[in-house]
Amino acid sequence: MTKTNPPKHIVLYADDDPDDLLLVQEAFLQYSANVEMITAENGIEALAYLRSLDAFDPAPCLIILDINMPRLDGKETLKTIRNMDRFKDIPVVLFTTSSSYADRFFAEKYKAGFITKPIEARQMALIADQLVDHCSDQIRMNIKRN
Amino acid sequence: MKYEDYNLLPEDKKTAVLWKGGIYIGKRKTEEHTIVLYQLDAFYVEVFYTLYRKHIDRIECSENTSLLDLYAEEK
Repeated sequence: MTKTNPPKHIVLYADDDPDDLLLVQEAFLQYSANVEMITAENGIEALAYLRSLDAFDPAPCLIILDINMPRLDGKETLKTIRNMDRFKDIPVVLFTTSSSYADRFFAEKYKAGFITKPIEARQMALIADQLVDHCSDQIRMNIKRN
Repeated sequence: MKYEDYNLLPEDKKTAVLWKGGIYIGKRKTEEHTIVLYQLDAFYVEVFYTLYRKHIDRIECSENTSLLDLYAEEK
């Protein structure tokens, strides 16, 4: 009998800072059995990935967007995602160096989470869980199962 | 918060305050460090990492705006 592993949940992360891309990928290694991370360097690339998905491709369970990115920033990307029928309700988190109230308000307006990028290791250790907590209950349980 | 008060905080408090209220200005790299500059109220804070966002070597504060020049060409 062949045992088939369930497909991994996809997390799409767009950030132009290669150091931050690497850090978040590292943070998600603890969930690597259940999560596949797709990365993009800006909003255009992230949207291109989403548009490339056909109806049978699994949609991401979570989209993480840096705010300050070249070509298309995280806020404009979020607005576009919310206008895409298939992705309008997908959990999105603005993951940013900003802690401004205006950016936080923007995230709320577009039904997105808002997490300020950590400054030190203890904060960094929490970040994967903080991000995954934005997924739906069922997906969060699937991701955190061993 | 005033520059003098922030400077007296222990490192864990400095990072907590910075995480909550710091405004990211930029990042630069030297052979030894990745350095991130934040604005906090009316002064600037540089975080010197030996391992980016994981291990802080030191935190330096300044009210000198010429610090910004070091980050002008960086993201």
